[in-house]
Amino acid sequence: MRHGTRLAAAITAATFVGLLLAGLGVSHREKSIATATGFAALPPAPAPVLKVGRPKMLSGERYVSRWTVVRRPTAAHAAPSASSVVVARLGVSAPEGTPNLLAVLRARTGAGGALWVMVRLPVLPNGTVGWVSRRSLGSYQVVKTHLVVDRRRLQATLYQNGKSVFTAPVGVGTAVAPTPAGDFTIRSKLTRYASPFYGPVAFGTTARSAVLTDWPDGGFIGLHGTNQPGLIPGRISHGCIRMRNEDIVRLSRLMPVGTPLAIR
Amino acid sequence: MNGFPHFDQFLTAVDRDAALAETSSRAEAALSRRGLLGITLGAVGAIVFGKTSVAEAGAGLPASDVDILNYALVLEYLQASFYTEAERSGALSGATAQAVKVVGATERAHVKAFRELLGSRAVARPTFDFQGVTEQQRPFLRTAVAFEDLAVEAYKGQAPKVRSNAVLAAAVGIHSVEARHAAWMRELFGITPAVNAFDRPASRAKINRIVASTHFIVSRPRMKARNKPHFTG
Repeated sequence: MRHGTRLAAAITAATFVGLLLAGLGVSHREKSIATATGFAALPPAPAPVLKVGRPKMLSGERYVSRWTVVRRPTAAHAAPSASSVVVARLGVSAPEGTPNLLAVLRARTGAGGALWVMVRLPVLPNGTVGWVSRRSLGSYQVVKTHLVVDRRRLQATLYQNGKSVFTAPVGVGTAVAPTPAGDFTIRSKLTRYASPFYGPVAFGTTARSAVLTDWPDGGFIGLHGTNQPGLIPGRISHGCIRMRNEDIVRLSRLMPVGTPLAIR
Repeated sequence: MNGFPHFDQFLTAVDRDAALAETSSRAEAALSRRGLLGITLGAVGAIVFGKTSVAEAGAGLPASDVDILNYALVLEYLQASFYTEAERSGALSGATAQAVKVVGATERAHVKAFRELLGSRAVARPTFDFQGVTEQQRPFLRTAVAFEDLAVEAYKGQAPKVRSNAVLAAAVGIHSVEARHAAWMRELFGITPAVNAFDRPASRAKINRIVASTHFIVSRPRMKARNKPHFTG
């Protein structure tokens, strides 16, 4: 046992000395090469001015929603094929004068290799989806927000990356002209218009009243301020979602166009 | 012959905002105004002693270098947006999908580094419309090869014009990474990763022409208006 310990110590010591000598040898060789070639005279490498950190993996993707706009007038089809039933005709502008925004759900390559995109359509019945040729659509934009309007609790909540960042009481439609339930998109932001009825800011949505179909521009549901704040919260509108002016202004600073809107 | 026709033979389309061209012309103008000061003492101090932040180091760079950095930033925006959109589309599969995650993360790190260095002088991110290229495997890979080759040529083209050694060191560090990406995408596309004994640089004019031909840089849609609402109320 004692003999074994001594042997192990001797091997360790020999290895250490060997490594040390080898190291000195390499160092000496390097020095010799540098002297022989003139490398020793080279200046040190400059430090890069740019500090590139670790690669940035995507995060929080489950909160990402994509949207696009109609780039040229087109038809939305029931299937990813030009020969399938047309479910809606789409122009390049929304009634409020902004580009016609569509929520992007998914894409598929159709027959002949053409790319088709499933989008949520701003038509009745609410909730209609259709397939649009990718060629007719513009760039994809993303948001990480979503707005939930709870008609029972008369409350709107904005989420950013899944966290609640804004809550406010709302007014919604009466029993005669109810605010429609479903999944929609905030598609425009209107400001500086002269109409106290709508307050200082009004957001256009892709939701439509199923009752007021002959309303100017087709009866789209808006999300806007009011000149009657005392009525909020309540069931007081023609379907629009009303907020007190201070709330809609605060919301307008937090919520980008393209934000998904869930009315429950 | 590596079996890969040039970028502009594949992609025909306009730099609708002329964003890249504008950045380029600023860089050209700055280069033509070459001053005598070179790198300021502040920048030298930051680089040599490492006592200042990256943003402070960037504050002392020659104007021509700042414009070259911004020019590079636009190309990095282009690549980062391209890979990010491809990853989000979820349409790519297999080794390509894996590569997209890795390369995209690297390109985003480049963007972050450039933006931190340039601070308020960083150009804004343009809006890109990749027209579905990110949602189909073969078109994606074909474009990725073109983008990576383009980036390598662009860095090589600007390197001799950089006045600050610290900027040049950074550019070379990124250039080699882009070259690895180019080889990776070529391998995935099924073409020889490295065929040339010597790679030629590309001028800004050439890069601009190629990027503009894609129509990938577009105007951001204006979703705000001042029209009176006609909602149901």
